[in-house]
Amino acid sequence: MTEPAIDLQRIRREIEAEVRARRASGEYPPGFTRELDDLFARFSPPEASDNFDAAVERAEEAVAIELVIPTASNKPGVGLFKRVVAKLISWYHMFLAQQIGALGGAITHALHLLGNRVDEVERLSGHAERARAEGSRFAAARDDTVWTDAVVGALAGSGGRVAVCEAGDGELVAALVAAGVDAYGVEPRFEIADAAIARGLEIRVDDARGHLRSCAPGDLAGIVLRGCVERLAVGELFDLVDIASGRLAEGGHLVVASVSPSAWGRGRTEVEADLAAGRPLHAATWVSILTARGFEQVTSTAFASSEQLVPLPSSHPDASLINDNLTRISTALYGDDSYVVVARRASR
Amino acid sequence: MTAIHQFVPTLAPRDAVGGHYLAVRDSLRDAGYTSEIYAQEAKEEYRRLARPFRSFEGSRNGEPTWLMYHSSIGSPVADFVVARREPVIVDYHNITPASFFARWEPYVAGQLALGRRQLAKLAVRASLGLADSAYNAGELRDLEYDRVEIVPILLDVSQLGGDVDEATRDRLERQRSDGGTDWLFVGRVSPNKAQHDVVKAFAAYRRFHDDQARLHFVGSATSHAYETSLRDFVHALGLERAVEFAGSVDDAVKHAYFSCADVYVVCSEHEGFCVPILEAWHHDVPIVAYAAAAVPETLRDGGLLLPSKDPDIVAAAAARVASDRALRDHLVAAGRERLATFSLANSRAALLAAVASVAGDP
Repeated sequence: MTEPAIDLQRIRREIEAEVRARRASGEYPPGFTRELDDLFARFSPPEASDNFDAAVERAEEAVAIELVIPTASNKPGVGLFKRVVAKLISWYHMFLAQQIGALGGAITHALHLLGNRVDEVERLSGHAERARAEGSRFAAARDDTVWTDAVVGALAGSGGRVAVCEAGDGELVAALVAAGVDAYGVEPRFEIADAAIARGLEIRVDDARGHLRSCAPGDLAGIVLRGCVERLAVGELFDLVDIASGRLAEGGHLVVASVSPSAWGRGRTEVEADLAAGRPLHAATWVSILTARGFEQVTSTAFASSEQLVPLPSSHPDASLINDNLTRISTALYGDDSYVVVARRASR
Repeated sequence: MTAIHQFVPTLAPRDAVGGHYLAVRDSLRDAGYTSEIYAQEAKEEYRRLARPFRSFEGSRNGEPTWLMYHSSIGSPVADFVVARREPVIVDYHNITPASFFARWEPYVAGQLALGRRQLAKLAVRASLGLADSAYNAGELRDLEYDRVEIVPILLDVSQLGGDVDEATRDRLERQRSDGGTDWLFVGRVSPNKAQHDVVKAFAAYRRFHDDQARLHFVGSATSHAYETSLRDFVHALGLERAVEFAGSVDDAVKHAYFSCADVYVVCSEHEGFCVPILEAWHHDVPIVAYAAAAVPETLRDGGLLLPSKDPDIVAAAAARVASDRALRDHLVAAGRERLATFSLANSRAALLAAVASVAGDP
């Protein structure tokens, strides 16, 4: 009797499904992975963090040259020999140590001055990083129902993994999975990610750029950019698109789902808009950016605003004329609420 | 007769690349080339096998002479080779990106960054770039090496086994008699090999699948700071009795660890080839690996490749491999099959063909 063939791809899918099911059932606590990450971070040395002050502090400690030369040895006689040599060269050792100490001290002093200047620049520029972190924290939930059909339509039948960055509460990921797409989410905010994980969805706790950087080139059949594309500065957006482009397989799809500039800062996005480093681009700008980067079949779909000026009843004698004008004013005032841009990665 | 001399930063025992240098020398000599190894540093056991690189004075009898530089870290040997007049072949074993070490060991990061700069400088001088994986070949092409050939590392796969240290095996077998799965990872304790992610996955495995499981790390540390953090992490998780740091061991002890392992787990962020995968295949240990850098290329279907190293996923994959006999047998058989493609004869033939294409016959 021949052994049944083992399909490793199927095994992987079964393992992932098992993990999702156990998470959904609560058997795997949603915060467990994060607790492990936090615990390891606690034991990482100061220079393993991004803290500038801690790094300078570490450099200052390293500048202190040890004047006592180690002379111990397990080999008989060697310890004595080392002590004699140490005694003989002690004056030279001191001379070198003083010079190296002075050099190190001068460098760390210069670093302190540089740090002070950077602090001042950050203060004058309104602490862009802090504002960005706050903006991200206050990012409002997006109404995925508006663009779900368009996104699912673009990615249905994708022959590989699809990453949704940022995934938010996972609504869009769930819709894609329900449509048979091998989708997972990327969400940087723990509490939101945990809620999505608890729904049994596969969510990586990471920011979009960080996650995509960690993916292998050509690894993904589709990437959805959502949420973050409305807050990032233009330079960061270019960076994000370049990374995403490199991670897409040939023929893979990049989907940008975003609120439109005219809707940005209205309603629930008020706080987020005030604190964001950037703002949403127009759909036409995305089309231009993606076309310039070699994407093919770049299309955009706009979704009209639900807010409209109230038209006159048709019984009014001037209803037709006035309502036409009201429609024009509504379009000028509210425009489209959101859009989806879909682009296909051309062969390299 | 044509001479092809190797120039290496360090020649050390218990090192796959060190073994490669010796195998290259023997292959070149067997083919009829004159060949010596010149090194910046040769460790005690190998001191008689290498000459100081600065003692190289070029051909004395006018024989055509080529320099083969092995690139894996920054070294004055590279500058020496660049400054020579002889034609150059670069054998690239990958240089770990400095970013992995910058925060842990700034000095090592500096050496790695230097190595990458030197590799770029060598592109102008090199008539041929050799790479032991397509991944490494891609990096050479990115640096605009005109001609790149893939030559797998010269490793006698039939010699991956050998003597087993009985004392170590007895100790490991005694532990196994109490039950529990044995995880193994062999390689330097180094940030790019991400042993901390193996520990995270192992913690998940102990909690959700097998509370008797053990994890063995075999290999010396290239970063004291990283190793210290790793040990503290293990201690904080209360796993100090379940996680062993065996350090640098001789081959017989290493074989004992492989002979008692149930699953070989790789969570590395960066590997230029990953020789221990071949050792795991040889010892019939099934592999669960995170798909990063050259690992997917080396492993192919000879292990369970994971697109994520989420601890829950890695743990579930290891549990599946440990409990699913059919899957385990399949992975072991696939590993054996894949291992055969890395035979020394194949690799030697590829090396000699590549070398002859630029240096001519001996």
